[in-house]
Amino acid sequence: MDNSKTIQQVLYALMRITLPQVFMMIAFTTLVAAAPTRGQEILTRKVSLDVHDKDIKAVLSEIEKQTSVVFTYRSKLIKSSRKISLKVSEAPLADVLKELFDPGIRVLALDDEEEIVLRPGTDEGSTHAVAPYELRISGNIVDEKGEALPGVSILEKGTSNGTTSDGSGNFALNVLDQNSILTFSFIGYTTQEVPVGNKTELAVSLQPDITSLEEVVVIGYGVQKKADITGALTSISPKEFAGQPVTRLDQILQGRASGVQVSNVGGAPGGDVRIRVRGANSILGDNNPLYVVDGYIGADFTTINPSDIATIQVLKDASSTAIYGSRGANGVIIITTKNGGKGGIHVNFSSQFSTSNRIKKLNTLSAGDYAQTINERAAATGGNPFFTQQQVDNFRVSGGTDWQDQVFTEAAGQEYQLGVSGGGDKTTFAVSGNFLDQDGIIRNSNFKRFALRSNIHSQITEKLSLRLNVSGTRKNNLNNGITAGTANPLVQALAWAPTTPPYDENGNMTLRDPTGSIFTNPLALMYDREYRTEIMIANMVGGLRYEFIPGLSLDLQYAVNYLNQQDKFNNGSIVTNNNPNAGRISSEQITLQSTNAINYSKTFADVHRIDAVAVFETQEFTNNKFNATGNTLLIPSLGYDNIGLAGSYQIGSEFSKWTLLSLMGRVNYSFKDKYLLSATVRRDGSSKFRGDNQYSVFPSVAAGWRISEESFMKDQDVVSNLKLRASWGLTGSQAIGPYATQSTYTTTQAAFTNNSARSGIMLGNPGNPNLKWETTEQTDIGLEAEFLQGKFLIEADYFVKNTEDLLLNRQLPGYVGGGNIAENVGVIQNKGWELAITVPVFTGDFGWTTSFNISNVKNMVKSVGGIADKFFTSSNVGAGMSTQAEFVYAPGQALGAYWGLVYEGTWKPDEADQAALRGEMPGDSRYQDLDGDNAITAADYQIIGSAIPTTTSGWNNTFTYKGFSLNVFFLGMFGMDKLNYTRAAALTGGADARQPILDDILDRYIPGVNETSNIPAFSTTNRNYTQSTRFMEKGDFIRLKNVSLGYDFPKRMVKDFGVRLFVSGTNLLTFTDYNGIDPESASSGAGTNQGGDTAQGIDYGSYPNSKTYTVGVNLTF
Amino acid sequence: MKKIKIIYLIALLTTGCSGFLDEEFRGQIVGNASLSTVEGLDAALVGTYKGLGNTWATGFLHPTAIGATMGGEDVTTHKASNKQEFREFDQFAVSAGNSRTGNLYNGCYKAIQGANNIINNYQATVGDLTLINNIAGEAYFIRALSYYWLVRLYGSIPFITTAEYSNDLLTIEKTDPATVYALIESDLLAAEQLLPMKKRDPGRPNIGSAKALLADVYLTEAGWPIKDASAYAKAATKAKEVIDNKLAYGFALMPTFAEAFDNNPDVPTLDEYVFQISAFQSIGGNTNYGFSAMPGDIAGWDDYFPEINFFLNFPAGPRKDKTFRTEFVTDDGTTIQWQQTQTKHPYYGKFWIKGDVKNYVSSLPFVMMRYAHVLTIYAEAKARSGGPDEEAYSAINAIRVRAGLAPLVGLSADAFAAAVVQERAWEFAGERTRWFDLVRLEMVEAANASKHPDDMTPINAITREDYTFPLPLSETLANPNLGD
Repeated sequence: MDNSKTIQQVLYALMRITLPQVFMMIAFTTLVAAAPTRGQEILTRKVSLDVHDKDIKAVLSEIEKQTSVVFTYRSKLIKSSRKISLKVSEAPLADVLKELFDPGIRVLALDDEEEIVLRPGTDEGSTHAVAPYELRISGNIVDEKGEALPGVSILEKGTSNGTTSDGSGNFALNVLDQNSILTFSFIGYTTQEVPVGNKTELAVSLQPDITSLEEVVVIGYGVQKKADITGALTSISPKEFAGQPVTRLDQILQGRASGVQVSNVGGAPGGDVRIRVRGANSILGDNNPLYVVDGYIGADFTTINPSDIATIQVLKDASSTAIYGSRGANGVIIITTKNGGKGGIHVNFSSQFSTSNRIKKLNTLSAGDYAQTINERAAATGGNPFFTQQQVDNFRVSGGTDWQDQVFTEAAGQEYQLGVSGGGDKTTFAVSGNFLDQDGIIRNSNFKRFALRSNIHSQITEKLSLRLNVSGTRKNNLNNGITAGTANPLVQALAWAPTTPPYDENGNMTLRDPTGSIFTNPLALMYDREYRTEIMIANMVGGLRYEFIPGLSLDLQYAVNYLNQQDKFNNGSIVTNNNPNAGRISSEQITLQSTNAINYSKTFADVHRIDAVAVFETQEFTNNKFNATGNTLLIPSLGYDNIGLAGSYQIGSEFSKWTLLSLMGRVNYSFKDKYLLSATVRRDGSSKFRGDNQYSVFPSVAAGWRISEESFMKDQDVVSNLKLRASWGLTGSQAIGPYATQSTYTTTQAAFTNNSARSGIMLGNPGNPNLKWETTEQTDIGLEAEFLQGKFLIEADYFVKNTEDLLLNRQLPGYVGGGNIAENVGVIQNKGWELAITVPVFTGDFGWTTSFNISNVKNMVKSVGGIADKFFTSSNVGAGMSTQAEFVYAPGQALGAYWGLVYEGTWKPDEADQAALRGEMPGDSRYQDLDGDNAITAADYQIIGSAIPTTTSGWNNTFTYKGFSLNVFFLGMFGMDKLNYTRAAALTGGADARQPILDDILDRYIPGVNETSNIPAFSTTNRNYTQSTRFMEKGDFIRLKNVSLGYDFPKRMVKDFGVRLFVSGTNLLTFTDYNGIDPESASSGAGTNQGGDTAQGIDYGSYPNSKTYTVGVNLTF
Repeated sequence: MKKIKIIYLIALLTTGCSGFLDEEFRGQIVGNASLSTVEGLDAALVGTYKGLGNTWATGFLHPTAIGATMGGEDVTTHKASNKQEFREFDQFAVSAGNSRTGNLYNGCYKAIQGANNIINNYQATVGDLTLINNIAGEAYFIRALSYYWLVRLYGSIPFITTAEYSNDLLTIEKTDPATVYALIESDLLAAEQLLPMKKRDPGRPNIGSAKALLADVYLTEAGWPIKDASAYAKAATKAKEVIDNKLAYGFALMPTFAEAFDNNPDVPTLDEYVFQISAFQSIGGNTNYGFSAMPGDIAGWDDYFPEINFFLNFPAGPRKDKTFRTEFVTDDGTTIQWQQTQTKHPYYGKFWIKGDVKNYVSSLPFVMMRYAHVLTIYAEAKARSGGPDEEAYSAINAIRVRAGLAPLVGLSADAFAAAVVQERAWEFAGERTRWFDLVRLEMVEAANASKHPDDMTPINAITREDYTFPLPLSETLANPNLGD
């Protein structure tokens, strides 16, 4: 034991020492690489030799000295035993080499690198063994529409000699001879091989690769031929979103990947988004998928510049994700970023400008109607009128204030993008920069992103390669994370009276609303309050790969992710009622990841193919946080930049850390490309758990059968590919934060006099030492089929996920001190199906490709562990609106079922006696009295809806004609209910609102006048329970998410440039019955901080999505 | 180089790495070791108070206690606006989901948890013994105070004397009031032994605070639901101990009623305050004063104001003048009378901030008990246990004279007791006293029998069930054994 500890210590010490060195090596290596060209100067250099029985390798060394030329060859090619005797004087190198080598060895000279490459000859009969690359081939490459295709990789087959096409699709390459074959490859297009023959000019037309069977896809810790995949995964190619105004990964995923549900719950620029792969498994945990970017696990998807993306893979089933073990339960999204191509430099520049507007406005009372309505309310409840008739009449004339107009604005946005890539034979690079600046439609909100990335790859020797991907992202957020509830400008815009002017006669913001809201003026909530979050993320992934023998390689990778977040806030005199405060929160998060992998890949007897990988990985996360607030600022205008000038302070700091140690392995086996088998196992150890619960093992197996490869399928041409696959596996979730196994105290402050506070400690949430992993077992059956050589593609999956030992924060009753305790309780099931269909309807001059996907997930709590029959969670968004937890989890119900009363409308005149039993009268709200005790009590609460969408679908259409392309994309989400607190507050005058604002109130029950309405009358006996079906609405919607029209200028008009112009519209049309502004946005459930998935679907001033128009241009050269 | 790396890798793959997975608790306060020093124990005491004064969340620093006592005829709320939860109390139709009692309930239990932690651990604390005892005394006082509020509001309640959580606490049943009162008494007796003569800070208790609270507890125990008549004598004795030592404890009546309600946020406390929950605006403050008590016509929130008959029957004098506001100057300079306000009610001027500051928050303390309470406790308890003596007359008359009323003379014991109860209604109008007097003396129905037409009436006939509130939904849902 002692011994092993010592070894560990040594190992860690070594890793610390060696890794920076490795990075430096990578960095310097890339500096010395240069781009080669070809010629024959070196073959004419003079050589003098006089050797007898000398080792051939020694002879070559001697020649290297004389000519400054370097020989490159595989050691097998030249037998060391071969002895040479030769005498020449001032002979040209070419002649000497002819003497030395027989025609079985090809001698290729590279001038610029002063290098001579020795290769096995392909043509035994060749006599002309020593040659420069001398046959110059040039040509032009176009796509299926005849448009130039830049960036195509062109390679002389069997060599590393290659180039890429330029902005006009032109290329030129020197090849060995007429026997050479050129391969043309480009992502998304079928690779073509063209024999050179006697041509020197080639015209190549590449066809889109719809089948993509030969495509290699990225999987966890490796790559695999798509045809061999046994798991359920969805690939998205950059082509699918090219030319659309996507600024963030979620906009790419939305509707384009079956089984992936994306909701823009926060419509603010840079706002929250909820992404779920095959539903939500975890109550407590983060249900966001795991993002792996260039091998770094746990990346922040918002920092990725869409233009940098080379591939996106969504791993959905357990056989794909089990390799990520304890973090794979929510699905894994693997992203690789673009690298440079060999030969030439390519530049891509694009810029776009957008303007955004609100998608809808709620109908509010005019000032006159409002004044009259609240007078009527006062009269009905025994109060004095608020306004005289004269005032009411005046308001009818003046119209009053439209507070929604005060809050919403038209917002501008701009984005610039520059990418440069290229490289030589050994080293390639891609560097890109991106700047995004987007205003929000709620005034004074903004998001800016600066992103810079540099990817470098260098093949140092044939066996050793290095890579270094570095990216830096800066995100500046201004007021785009507005909180739900009363302190929200939108909620206040629907609470402030239309009779109240926004500014007083001196031009200052009106401080108080005499009749409407008791809360702050919405203008002050936007302008007197400033919340800035500035985030800097630097991500560095460096790797070293060494190939021992073909098929066996070692890959060492180290990643550092550094996140620095500065939160700054000012609350001015108006929002604090003359006690202005300001503060800062500074946090620094560092994640270190070390991944060491051995890969082995070999084909035996031409039929057995094995790919195996073994990985050892560690990850360590540290968070250091510090916060300070100054209250009663002496000079409020200094704000957070000088909080020292304050009457009193609050400060705090915290540290947290977790570590993860993992071992894993995977074997993929394929027999004759027909029968496929895959098995993985991962063992994870986490610092968050104790004792025997610290380690857990996550295995998976999968099998595939490519029926189309069977001999009985060979004689037909209807089905070109048919694959059946099935998988099973276990994955886990790191649902809990560090320290949940321990009871800890929290820090607080209390006052014992009127001018200072004392710090103290309070018992926090009790720890649970027995916590263990939450485990998700997933079974998947899938079918992939392609008909008529790509004329119709279909992929379907059925899956069942059972999550056991569910981690949840059990809400504790007040009498034990409140709070909650993390527990492993119960089982949740997600089962569903996914279907994706792609049809290239027309492929000629006029092209139309349509792809449709639909996913259905049924989420159900199977058990809550028998401790209680149900558990409750609160959204924390309904302060003042709801008096208890809105959400319940109970067996047989979906996760996040709403808990509330059933609203039965108003009591009608003929029900007066019944109403009287409850102390109510006709016109009052009537709720279902489940137990018949004539009182609305806890016993009358029931499950009244479900917040989780069951069906998500996307329909994407691309039309092409000549240089035009039109993309039309619809998104649909179905099966979720929304609890519309925004409406509840604005219609009932609940919480801080005091008076109704929505014009629906005009249709209320009025005794003797309108006795059919289900909007309750004004009365002192009426009770509004917002947590009821009265404010529960169907949230289903179909949205025309995007329409983009692009035009690529023909080459003859813009020489050597690729120019593309596009216009685009986002969220143009929404079909929904939802009464709120936006069915897609929500105030809860975006992240984990507001109740997670159990609490989604509440709309209480949620930041709505906007309708956005964008114009842009894209240049390539 | 490469071979070495492979060896590292193989070594890494084959060895366990136990140290790597050890959790680092830097910055975390784990376990009770922190209570072993007097500084740590004092810090835990600060956290204990927090439950009672967590503005807008739990405890007393926002208008939740006033809401819970709206069953008294001294206070009501807006009939419409956003006051549904307050109305439920005034209309005797309190739902289990009413968050107003929940805030008080959760705050009291959070304080009890903190107090339990100190009480169960202070004997092992090392340090200045006097300070340790003072801290323990405050913890006993806080626990008693919290249980006293809970038992009066809810009757039978969960009864917890441990600080550590265990799963079996989730299945306990309710405990009857008698058991709870027994603990309250013993806690206050312990507090008397441990507390200092002078308050450590304005917001803390001293011996006198503990004795005064115990006197109030005895007075309550003598009435509904315990109905232990012998407790009157104990109440009188305990109250007398406070009166006799008022100088030592620093208690006194302010010379005028108006001075007792000067409400100057710059003054941390008054001698008249037997116990207060201090507030500091920068960490939340007190939101009972100011807008909460002001009419909407002048930007107030209309949370609570007097019932009309209570106001009309209130005896005139300087106390009435300070207690109520009947005239208001609106933003446009118009002066309106209370009948012209939107609610057609007068307002509680005694809860306005000095200078009529228009704000919803201040650093004013929330006064839990005034010295005037002690005087009335003595007077009533003495009257009900042997009849009023001279001291009882002087106690009640000190209050009446300050209020501008004639002193009481020559009353029978019953008439004297009744007069004191009535005096308490006026003296402590809106101070969360009347409701509990009505309950212990079973006068709730009578007091709510005749309402002014502009005031709300009970929705259904008042029964003994209305004397306490249903436990919050969060409790009965988490532990069904707490249900009926």
